[in-house]
Amino acid sequence: MSPLELVDDRFGELARELHAARPVAPEGLRERVRALAPPAPRRFELNLRMLVPAAGLAAIAVSLAVAGGIGVLHSPKSTEHGTIQARRPVARLAAPVPQAESKALGQRVFGATLAPAAGRLQQYDANLTVRVDNRDDLSKTTQDALRFTRRLGGFVVWARYAAPSDRGASELALRVPVDHVQQAIAHFSAYGTLVSQRIVLKDLQQRVDGLTARISRLRAEVAALKEQLGRVLTPERRALLEQRLQRDQAQVALLTRSKAASVRRASMSRIALTIADRPKPAAAPGRLGRTLHEAGSVLARELEVLLYALVVAGPLLLIGLAAMVAGRVARRRSDERLLERS
Amino acid sequence: MKPSAQDFAEAAERHLDDVHAFLVYLTGDRNVAEDLTAETFARALERWRRYDPRRGSARTWLCQLARSTAIDHFRAEERRRRREGRWALDTPASEEGVFGEGLSPELERALSRLSASEREVVALRIVLELDGESAARVLGISATACSTRLSRALQKLEREVSADVAA
Repeated sequence: MSPLELVDDRFGELARELHAARPVAPEGLRERVRALAPPAPRRFELNLRMLVPAAGLAAIAVSLAVAGGIGVLHSPKSTEHGTIQARRPVARLAAPVPQAESKALGQRVFGATLAPAAGRLQQYDANLTVRVDNRDDLSKTTQDALRFTRRLGGFVVWARYAAPSDRGASELALRVPVDHVQQAIAHFSAYGTLVSQRIVLKDLQQRVDGLTARISRLRAEVAALKEQLGRVLTPERRALLEQRLQRDQAQVALLTRSKAASVRRASMSRIALTIADRPKPAAAPGRLGRTLHEAGSVLARELEVLLYALVVAGPLLLIGLAAMVAGRVARRRSDERLLERS
Repeated sequence: MKPSAQDFAEAAERHLDDVHAFLVYLTGDRNVAEDLTAETFARALERWRRYDPRRGSARTWLCQLARSTAIDHFRAEERRRRREGRWALDTPASEEGVFGEGLSPELERALSRLSASEREVVALRIVLELDGESAARVLGISATACSTRLSRALQKLEREVSADVAA
């Protein structure tokens, strides 16, 4: 449908007259246009419509190339990877070790650690966590720890051994004579890599001395009361003294038991030993996998930088864009006004 | 595929009258329109490699170029007049046969009394018979705005013709 047919009927005649009398370009102008010579071809033409996507593609290509290059250069070869695993320096003691060796190792490892003071009663608590290489070592060292504890004159309070598919561990609560505690710690530490060690020493001598003094005093009182009760007394007085005697004797028995417990506690150290094996290493990725991993890391880093740049430059870009749009609108309005005036 | 010089020659031959007519209506001056037509085609030849047929017809593209060439001319003229204070002297007197051969003198005078902005929409929609979308693209406005502008321009034109006949 011709636009003329869309024009309101009122203007139909007007439109037909205008269309029929349309200006025609004179022959001179036609010749001028025909004579236009094509411009010399430019060697390089800056075309933003093509330049922007091309620059984007180039940036992506460079990013991928850099990431790939770094991935290839930095990924270790598989043989090197294996060597690193095998060279890991681990102190091992799967089989029972001669005491001399164990002691020497203990002195080396714990030369600066707390040792129970000779001649004083002390409560010695040690908490050790040792990591062994594999499930076999875990089993062997657990059995060895139990045997070694008994050999030193100690005993096992409780033991827990758990070896699920991914990671196994055994937890042992041991009592070892305090004279052999350093030897025991050195021995246990040599099972593998010592992950953590905590030793708490608490002095019991003062408490035992205090208990001894109180017991002596009470015993003296008991003797005095017994001596008084041997005399002639009023029934009320006798009843009172007998009551005090019973109370003091009970106190003496209680304090004596308490003292004995403290002495026992000072004679046996408490060792909480945890032995764990290493988590199964994930299947070592191949060279291609490591290369891809490295490349992925570099790409992630590049994206981080890009994001940072966007955050920093984003507001400026937005302002620039807004200024450009505002400029265009202003230019268009100015054109309209100009045409209105012309 | 990039348009070739041969394509340009064909497009120039085919649309020369359209561009010329559009510029005659826009400027209201045949001599200026001829110069601007030549300049428009010179510019078009320079930029012909950038012309993308998918974004519109060659006629629409040439009319856009012609409009921007005319606006540059108006702006330069306005600056010159302001600088030289010769506005009144340079305002061209209405001449006969500017807007086409065989137009009635009343219609000719009425057209000359329209603004360039009103004449350009009449030229695009009535004389060149561009569809609403293409005309709107040349003018840089929406199709609805283009339609409104055309309707007002025709009303004004009719009023001017009627007033002239009555006088």
